Amino acid sequence: MRRYGSAVLLLLVGGAVLRISLFSELYLRYVQAALRPYLIVSGALLILLGLAAAVRGMRHRQHEEHDDHEEEEGEEGEGDEHGHSHSHSHAHGGPRIAWLLTLPALALLLFPPPALGSYSASREEAQRAAQGVGSFSALPAGSPLDISVAQYSSRAIYDTGHSLKGRTLRMTGFVTHGSNGTWYVTRLLVTCCAADATISKVEIRGDEADGAPQTDSWVTVTGTWVPKGKLGTDGAWPPVLKAAQVKQVKEPADPYDKR
Amino acid sequence: MRVQNERTVVDGLRLAVRAMVYAVLGGAALIAIATVVSVLGPMVAIDLYTPAVAAWWTVFTAVAVQGVPFLLLGTVVSAAIGAFVPERVFTKLLPRNQALAVPIAGAAGVVLPGCECASVPVASSLMRRGVAPAAALAFLLSAPAINPVVLVATSIAFPGQPKMVLGRLIASLATAVVMGWLWARFGREEWLRLPKRTQAAASSPTGVKAFVAGLQHDFLHAGGFLVLGAAAAATFNIAVPRSILDIFTGSSWLSLLLLAFLAVVLCVCSEADAFVAASLSGFSPAAKLAFMVVGPMVDLKLIALQAGTFGRAFAFRFSSTTWLVAVTSSTLVGWWLL
Repeated sequence: MRRYGSAVLLLLVGGAVLRISLFSELYLRYVQAALRPYLIVSGALLILLGLAAAVRGMRHRQHEEHDDHEEEEGEEGEGDEHGHSHSHSHAHGGPRIAWLLTLPALALLLFPPPALGSYSASREEAQRAAQGVGSFSALPAGSPLDISVAQYSSRAIYDTGHSLKGRTLRMTGFVTHGSNGTWYVTRLLVTCCAADATISKVEIRGDEADGAPQTDSWVTVTGTWVPKGKLGTDGAWPPVLKAAQVKQVKEPADPYDKR
Repeated sequence: MRVQNERTVVDGLRLAVRAMVYAVLGGAALIAIATVVSVLGPMVAIDLYTPAVAAWWTVFTAVAVQGVPFLLLGTVVSAAIGAFVPERVFTKLLPRNQALAVPIAGAAGVVLPGCECASVPVASSLMRRGVAPAAALAFLLSAPAINPVVLVATSIAFPGQPKMVLGRLIASLATAVVMGWLWARFGREEWLRLPKRTQAAASSPTGVKAFVAGLQHDFLHAGGFLVLGAAAAATFNIAVPRSILDIFTGSSWLSLLLLAFLAVVLCVCSEADAFVAASLSGFSPAAKLAFMVVGPMVDLKLIALQAGTFGRAFAFRFSSTTWLVAVTSSTLVGWWLL
């Protein structure tokens, strides 16, 4: 293992990165979409480096069988790190700390962790978009118009132009529940990776909203805006949508809102 | 000839015995592990796989996945510096006088468009190439904070507030330069443990072979510490709900210190931290500035990376001093500009 350690680790990490970026769209659960090309390039580069390490390990093996130098090899590596207990570096096995990389790599290869859902949403205070009250650019034509939860939310709370008025809107998100029977369509927004997720949510009302779907199930809701409270104040929050239709859907490939 | 033959036979025997011992030990261990896992695994897994644990794994892998391309970029640059750039280039580019070299190196941070994972390996290879540690450290701190990608992201996150971008640039650069000068004046070589090249690289100090060997070693080494940092970040991310912050928004001093502390534990990538800062409604602009200045310079992931690269003695002294300097400089800049 000492001889092929680096090779194994590099191939494992490269394989895990390629599995979520090239061979599936799982990467969208963890990072933003724009990172895909970089992930693919990194994965390919890591595989190449792993192969190079394997070839070197094999060559060295033949070399050693002739020279019987094996024992010295290990010691030379140890001297490099000045006795730092966590990171003895072996010429071929790679530094010991590097074995931690197997944790995320195997997780991604065998059991890719799910996208963040209602648990994270309940822990984070729903963020109100940072801008102040003002008039927004006009919404594009279309009925129903597809709109993100975050976009709906900031227009409902901050738009003095009332661009949502009289429009039929459609949005997709997962279900979270509030107190006394209210429920929300919720979506997390990821800028760089899942560690920076922020949440936006819209309360669903109307006859169609009775019999709220299960927490964490995905729904597409079509409906109209219900004005509430004074713009830009706490009273306007959370925004409300009167549902005309609630449809259960499958979790979308990109579980997060784009910025 | 006979001696040679005997030696081969003995070697062969030794190899066979060793292989058998490994096979028996390994096999027994595997069988034991497989039995335990297949019996206990499903029971334990269902009990332990709560939503919190699932979220922990997601955040943990997310931080690690997100760090891989940047870490690789950093190690490619650092291995290239180690293998292809001769030492005299740096001695010519940077003035001899450390007090002068520090601000130049700090401003040079503009050229590395990555987040903080990339800058640690680069700074370490700069030091190995004979750049004064003070200058390399100024570069280490400024690169992730003031590169164009980060500044553009900041201006998008704070629309109509160019002062926020300017404040971030000034406060970050000031922190980096002050830290460089502090190191030049008070720093001690023995705190800094520079990893020497591995054997493979030392035997052929330049060229493609050294590049590949350096790349493999640096990536694996830094990658291990990245995972360590990701685990710490995920733990805090799950353990500290952000709604707790609302308690502290009342006092501007407390809120500034709180956000500066949060920047350390949340480990948000420097390209994304502006958006997180912007979404922390209810905090003063100075506090948000502190969040963005501290974040790329001191966080758990970085402390882990630095401890791995430069040694623990260095990482803790350096990170705590940097935190103080960063908080001071963002307070001053925030009071002056915002």
